[in-house]
Amino acid sequence: MSSSLITFDDVSRFYGEVLGVNRVTLNIPPGITSLVGPNGSGKTTLMNLMTGLVRPTSGAISVCGISPYDPQNLFRILGYCTQFDSFPSGYTGFQFVLSSLLLHGLDRQTAEQKAWQAIAKVNLLDAAKRKIAAYSKGMRQRIRLAQSIAHDPQILILDEPLNGLDPLVRSETIALFREVAARGAHVIVSSHVLHEVDMISDQVILLANGYVVAEGAIRGVRDEISDRPHQIVIRCDKPSLLASRLFAHDFIVEARLHPDRLGLLIQTTNLSQFHKLINRLALDGITIESITPADDDVNSLYQYLISEEGTSK
Amino acid sequence: MTPLALWRRQILTIVSLEWKKTLFARRGLWVFALAFLPALLIYLSALNLRNHRDELQRILLNNPTAAATTANIQIGMPFDRVSSILTGANLNFTTITRANRRTIIRYSDGVSSWDLIFVNGKLTDRTDRSLPALNDRIRQFAAIFQYFFLRLAIFFGCVGIFINLFRGEMLDQSLHHYLLAPVRRDVLLIGKYLSGLFSTILLFGSSTALQFFFLLYAYPGPESASYMATNGWSHFFNYLGVTALACVGYGSVFLASGIVLRNPLIPATIILFWEASNWFLPELLKKFSIIYYLQALCPVVAPISPDVPDAFKMLVTAAASIPTPLAILGILIISTAVLALAALSIRKLEINYSSD
Amino acid sequence: MAVYKRTYSSYTGPLSSPRFRFLVLPRYSYQHLFANRFLTGFLVACFFFPLGCAAYIYFVNNLSVFSSLGLSIPDFLKIDSSFFRFFMNFQGGLAYLLSALIGPTLIAPDLANNALPAYFSRPFSRAEYILGKISVLFILLSLITWIPGVLLFFFQVSQAGPGWLSSNWFILRAILLGFWAWILLLSLLAVALSAWVKWKIVAGALILGVFGIGAGLASAINSILRTEFGSIVDLSRIMYTIWSDQLNIDPANGIEPPEAWLAFFAVCFFCLFLLNRKIRPREIVR
Repeated sequence: MSSSLITFDDVSRFYGEVLGVNRVTLNIPPGITSLVGPNGSGKTTLMNLMTGLVRPTSGAISVCGISPYDPQNLFRILGYCTQFDSFPSGYTGFQFVLSSLLLHGLDRQTAEQKAWQAIAKVNLLDAAKRKIAAYSKGMRQRIRLAQSIAHDPQILILDEPLNGLDPLVRSETIALFREVAARGAHVIVSSHVLHEVDMISDQVILLANGYVVAEGAIRGVRDEISDRPHQIVIRCDKPSLLASRLFAHDFIVEARLHPDRLGLLIQTTNLSQFHKLINRLALDGITIESITPADDDVNSLYQYLISEEGTSK
Repeated sequence: MTPLALWRRQILTIVSLEWKKTLFARRGLWVFALAFLPALLIYLSALNLRNHRDELQRILLNNPTAAATTANIQIGMPFDRVSSILTGANLNFTTITRANRRTIIRYSDGVSSWDLIFVNGKLTDRTDRSLPALNDRIRQFAAIFQYFFLRLAIFFGCVGIFINLFRGEMLDQSLHHYLLAPVRRDVLLIGKYLSGLFSTILLFGSSTALQFFFLLYAYPGPESASYMATNGWSHFFNYLGVTALACVGYGSVFLASGIVLRNPLIPATIILFWEASNWFLPELLKKFSIIYYLQALCPVVAPISPDVPDAFKMLVTAAASIPTPLAILGILIISTAVLALAALSIRKLEINYSSD
Repeated sequence: MAVYKRTYSSYTGPLSSPRFRFLVLPRYSYQHLFANRFLTGFLVACFFFPLGCAAYIYFVNNLSVFSSLGLSIPDFLKIDSSFFRFFMNFQGGLAYLLSALIGPTLIAPDLANNALPAYFSRPFSRAEYILGKISVLFILLSLITWIPGVLLFFFQVSQAGPGWLSSNWFILRAILLGFWAWILLLSLLAVALSAWVKWKIVAGALILGVFGIGAGLASAINSILRTEFGSIVDLSRIMYTIWSDQLNIDPANGIEPPEAWLAFFAVCFFCLFLLNRKIRPREIVR
């Protein structure tokens, strides 16, 4: 078993008669991995399974070679920012982060130093000495984040970490995830904000109704979906001519003229043949400015694989 | 750092984080009330007894023949006759009317204090309200300590504090903070247990000490000095030890029930009835209760509560005379076994706040 | 300029009467409560004793064996106020257990889940909310206390004749007044403690503890301070005194009936004070 992977081997978890996740087999490599899926799809269950907060009904889990039921070793390398919006009563932000570090067995001085560093990373220095009960939702989110990164974990698990954050803090937080991932760590994020997932993720895991619907790099996942034509936007000088040329081929199923008459939206069932064709047409005197895939983002994957139309197919 | 040193440090951290939360939480104020109410009552009683003693001496000084005069008061005398005897003896008395049902004359004659109870205008009963001897007070204290303090105050105090340690955090949805730290769950259990133990022993131990002090406060002078010179100190340390062991025993039981059961109230109720009915259980069953060992350690045998129905009094078996080390060992064995079960259970504990 | 279509139309169907709107709460509470098999079983078991009492009344009133032997019916086989005090004590005890089981589920979950703003953002006042929650217990406890009590009373009247009624009419008053007071005390305590602690487990412990510790504390106070007034912290003693007084039985030692009534009202007002403080539409961030 590789020690750099988080592995799920045929893991199922049921809450009584309710399905949490079913027959999940995954190998999550380092980098930013997004868990995407609608409410109740099993994202939080998957994260709780990884961290030993819940146990699988069947199957086995290993987090970089460590069992989730070995907290003493697991949480030295793992930080988990949960969605639970509750804190030990009476704590200030600083005390909250510090208490967690003291439980690692650090001496007080080192723990205090690391706590301040983590709080600085989430820009909460001014409010650190205030009671958490007086924090706004965004501040509570940030102090949880500070606690989860304070011990410089190798694996960072974040359940809806961008909830309640304003746009500026959002971008700072995303930059922080990237920084953590850049040093070879695992960053596992669950989110509903698809365009942000799209921006930050190296790979995605799409979940629906407790099942893993797809996993891997976004482009790779899109390529695997053969029953949906690929959508491509072409900006060119003669879109009508291009459209007529394209329609001569079976693998072009739709060509729609852009309202500004300087582009086309193409739907093709064979991407490689389409690329060969477009190269030929470019040589025939049509000036092509750009060719951009229109549906290899998380949003499209979500639409194809998870939304009602996708799942009914 | 060796694992042992790490665990020690983690346990100390948990204790330092928890004990303040346990002691100074607003929701824990009632435990303070429960712990210190007996001390307050004994203090008030001591003040009352001291005043009473002063009053008796003053009456005796001013009216040395009063006791002889009031000896003429007989059962069956009418109210007016009795009050004229007391007025004749130059004694002050108070009349208490209890909802027209009973009339009570309360007076002191310099030697004793009496309640004369009249029903339908006739004297039916007289109750001696004189200053009780220290020995009587020690027996009374033993009864309050065993029937109220051990069985109710420490019992419910431990219910409040120890169940709160895990189940309370579950209900507060904050237990995951501990479960996401690099701490073995059994280390967490020990840390939390010790913090609860520290808080309860501090609370109930200081209350026991205060109660004992106030008990003697009512008897200044040679009476209490001679008691302390003979059995006093050993009784004092015995009571303190029993208090601590009660916290050890009940604490382990309620900590475990807070982990194992979603609703620890049901076992708490069952244990309450089990412990309360211990005094008439067969000898073998008695051994499976905390109070059995605690009572054996108490230095003074408590009189059976007057509230116990006569039918049950026949069933009461005398408190077993278990050797002290065996009684202590009994409690420690029960507590360790219960904590071991809790440690097994906490390893499988899951965070599922929605179900609470 | 923005043009808005006026497409919204409010609900125009029938509304429940504002006077009885609080009864919406018991309706939904009962659905939830009766889903619990233990609770339903316990409620059913609460009817066994009144049935036994009815059989006993029938038996006592139809003892022909004594009259055939020319003997009068022995004293212990008489249906009088002592019999009804025993009935009230027994059913009152069951009502207490039932309120300890149900009471904590009434307000604590609403507070724990910050649900009060959801209630009070509707045409529903705090008083109606409290009344609704209390009525959950009041209706259920009535079923096992004064309703079977009154039925037993009239059953006895039907068996013993109007002569018994004329000399024992006060028993009916005692059943009604005594049980209503008991139900009111239990309901108010249960909802107030449930509102105070927010957790149903702790609320249940408190309801049990208030009576248990109260009784223990009362005897400690009476013993240490050599008084009878300690009994005013013993809620079961308070009710026992009130019931005994209503049934014209001497409650023996302890507090007197007026003191018991005073303590009763003090507890009720304290519960109302707690409810007034706690039942407010605000969100609690932990």
